[in-house]
Amino acid sequence: MEKILLRNIEIQDSHKLSVYKSHRGYAALEKVLKGMTPEGLTEEVSASGLRGRGGAGFPTGKKWSFVPKDNPKPKYLIANADESEPGTFKDRLLIERDPHAIIEGAILAAYAIQSHQGFIYIRGEFVFGARVLEKALDEARQAGYFGKNILGSGYNLELTLHRGAGAYICGEETALLSSLEGGRGWPKLKPPFPATHGLFGCPTVVNNVETLAALPWIVDRGAARYAALGTEKSKGSKLFSVSGHVRRPGVYEVELGYPLKSFLEEVCGGMREGRELKGVIPGGSSVPVLRRDEIDGVRMDYESIAAAGSLLGSGGVIVMDDTTCMVKAAWNLARFYAHESCGQCSPCREGCHWLEKIFARIEEGKGNKDDLDLVLSVSGNISGNTICPLGDAAAMPAVAFVKKYRDEFEQHIRQRRCPVTAAEAQASAR
Amino acid sequence: METVKISIDGRELDAGKDRTVIQAAEDAGISIPHYCYHPKLSIAGNCRMCLVEVEKIPKLQIACNTLVQEGMVVKTQSPQVLAARRGVLEFLLINHPLDCPICDQAGECWLQNYYMDYSLEASRFSERKEPERKRQPFGPNVVFDAERCIKCTRCVRFLDEVTQTHELTVLNRSDDSTIALFPGKTLDNPLAANVNDICPVGALTDRDFRFRARVWYLKSTPSICPGCSTGCNIHIETYENRIARFKPRINDSVNGHWICDEGRYCFHGLTGGERLTSPLIRQEGGKLVPADWDSAVQAALIGLRDTEGLAGLLSARSTNEEAFLFARLMRAFSPKATVEVSYQARDLTTVEKILKSPDRSPNYRGAREMGAGTEPGWESWRDKLLDGDLRALYLAGEDLLSLFPDPERILRAIRGLSFLVVQDTTLSPTAELAHVVFPATHFAEKEGTYTNRRGRVQRVCCACVAPAGALPDHAIFGRLLAALGHPQAGSNPADVFRQITAEIPRYRDLTYESIGGAGVELEGI
Repeated sequence: MEKILLRNIEIQDSHKLSVYKSHRGYAALEKVLKGMTPEGLTEEVSASGLRGRGGAGFPTGKKWSFVPKDNPKPKYLIANADESEPGTFKDRLLIERDPHAIIEGAILAAYAIQSHQGFIYIRGEFVFGARVLEKALDEARQAGYFGKNILGSGYNLELTLHRGAGAYICGEETALLSSLEGGRGWPKLKPPFPATHGLFGCPTVVNNVETLAALPWIVDRGAARYAALGTEKSKGSKLFSVSGHVRRPGVYEVELGYPLKSFLEEVCGGMREGRELKGVIPGGSSVPVLRRDEIDGVRMDYESIAAAGSLLGSGGVIVMDDTTCMVKAAWNLARFYAHESCGQCSPCREGCHWLEKIFARIEEGKGNKDDLDLVLSVSGNISGNTICPLGDAAAMPAVAFVKKYRDEFEQHIRQRRCPVTAAEAQASAR
Repeated sequence: METVKISIDGRELDAGKDRTVIQAAEDAGISIPHYCYHPKLSIAGNCRMCLVEVEKIPKLQIACNTLVQEGMVVKTQSPQVLAARRGVLEFLLINHPLDCPICDQAGECWLQNYYMDYSLEASRFSERKEPERKRQPFGPNVVFDAERCIKCTRCVRFLDEVTQTHELTVLNRSDDSTIALFPGKTLDNPLAANVNDICPVGALTDRDFRFRARVWYLKSTPSICPGCSTGCNIHIETYENRIARFKPRINDSVNGHWICDEGRYCFHGLTGGERLTSPLIRQEGGKLVPADWDSAVQAALIGLRDTEGLAGLLSARSTNEEAFLFARLMRAFSPKATVEVSYQARDLTTVEKILKSPDRSPNYRGAREMGAGTEPGWESWRDKLLDGDLRALYLAGEDLLSLFPDPERILRAIRGLSFLVVQDTTLSPTAELAHVVFPATHFAEKEGTYTNRRGRVQRVCCACVAPAGALPDHAIFGRLLAALGHPQAGSNPADVFRQITAEIPRYRDLTYESIGGAGVELEGI
């Protein structure tokens, strides 16, 4: 497959404007400002089938169309560079190695919704990434790719980089808005929705940086080229961040629909010497883990993974082999959500830490036979009852690990210790 | 008002078009349990207690943030809803301290109440509860217990939106989230103690009421605050015949859901002390000695009747009924009597202006409308007293010496009186100078009406039984009128009110029933 999102990153100094330009950089922007209306651009993106790459997978063109055109309030375009989903590091690569693709994509998206003020919200921990973006923005501004009267088109757009302060929840679009407005990173109640009442109560679109980075290629080559890739409902390509017990972890660009098993075994080099796959989380820690016996025939697209009982999500592929204690893995994830919960609503604030405490107790050998059903019950009380999806994101892995590795959990409880590490110790002692 | 047809639990309703489900339910008398929702505050939607089932929507919806729509079908008692409620309650209780035995909120705690209504389940939590800082004084009237807090943010929103003083915020994240004072701030604004009322649990509690009484022993009487002429509606709550606390009573025409701190605690200064239980008469050149009512009444008559320079001063905490009788009485003593109602003015800050009036007199307007004011105003009467124009004085319900910043001048003026009758609850410094003292009752020991500064007539109700021997002002005035041979139809408040409606045109159409609990605003100035 011809690289779309990763087309530039291996080029020396790919972050520089001069290099970006010499590889068709900003050609899409020129094309749009010369002869496309915002509506035309939106239709083109809808035709491409591009879906949001942050995790939700919502059709991008459709999201843009929700912005009310005749609303007198200013419109805002926000690039979500708050990448914090455990197991996900693809946006970081784009930010550091191809910032102009993100910038050009942001300008295109802003034009489509007739926004004149865009923000790039980048997680506070990406210190280096922020510096790279800042430099790239300076270059782009100097070259006239945003600012007043861009390329003589009469279209004005100001782009501002804003650094976050270290919270996973600020990747949730309404919490991002709260933070950008200068407040606590608390998600907002929906309705109303950001398309009509977003930043400062104005119509707003939040797009993930991977989504934006795909736009220049789509506009430059045409929607049909993009839609020719992928499956019927999952068009184009996506970046997958592969980590864990594979020989070749890293960021891969994959045409949607590629078989998951082949991807792990061939593209990622398969498991380490003498090890067997035990489980793989396909889309970031918030989506259900798939057991080894559940990935046959599963393809890397939204529908196929959903049919397998999980979600494509952010494409964070976390691979675990048979040296992994699933109790510890579940605890590790539960600890993350307990730490990152914003604390606003009762089920998530109290429930996430409760889940962590139960897993911790089981891991330490103090579990009891009712704990597993308790985890399922508590997770069920969180799911669907919270202000934002973080509660669901905590509940899904807890349920999946307990359900799919129930025997191991029960053994861990019975034996009051981890059967996996015990077996490992025995094996190495021999 | 435009309405839409909705159904809640099978009941067809006409709901106001702009109402949320929780409000439409409330309008129809259906209670949906909630914590963070408050009709006077912005919607927070964080407690998740009000989740209900809305047909055609797969996930449960919070009733507080769901606008009604034509044809909406809502279920508040379905198995899914009840399970969600139990779930939310469980989450709120897992880290909640087992403080009930020592917590003031017990008996009026929304965790206790909803637990009894919707849960009754044993705890499944076998972990260590999160410890937090307890007993944090936020201000002179508010104590915060972080462990009990359910983070509903009612307090934060009240101080941001109603008083706009912004003392509190939420600190930290996840279940370390807690309510805290901004650095350098104290929660001491004039309406601060309302946060104790709106806190659904024992996280914010009243320092004055702390450990005073268990709320289920309190007797609650609806009445009006005697603090100023706003006439905030209150409940007077008593324990063993002593006032334990004031609570606000909702009246959207007067005080909404709130009362000010000064009014809330004003009962301390107006009650207590060593109560007078018998009339007193000053012996020739000597002390005040107890006397029977007839002798005291006669002594007062002799001293006041037909006297030159006769004056009367009525406390503005007197009811309309008492003022009506007092006016009649003073005219009966002498047609040229100089009568006024006491009036204490003050400047108000912006926050105070939300509720408070510029004067501390709950019934100044009403008393004057009853005829108890012959002067252009309090200042004119006061000047006459200080200039020595007044020779004899009937003082009902005020300690004159405490009303003046310069006690020396007023002391000279009082000493210069030929005759002084004082009617009060205790032997005040002014009463000690009197020739006759009548033992009276305080604002919560009588029935009647107040008219606030906007002309709203409201009912004052009896919350306490006066000590034996003391009589309410209207009864004392009635005895004096009777002794004067005055044809007075009756001195109990209901009878007097009938006379008021017969004689004072603006009060013409009123009855105690029509005034009810909400009061009636009179037309015109």
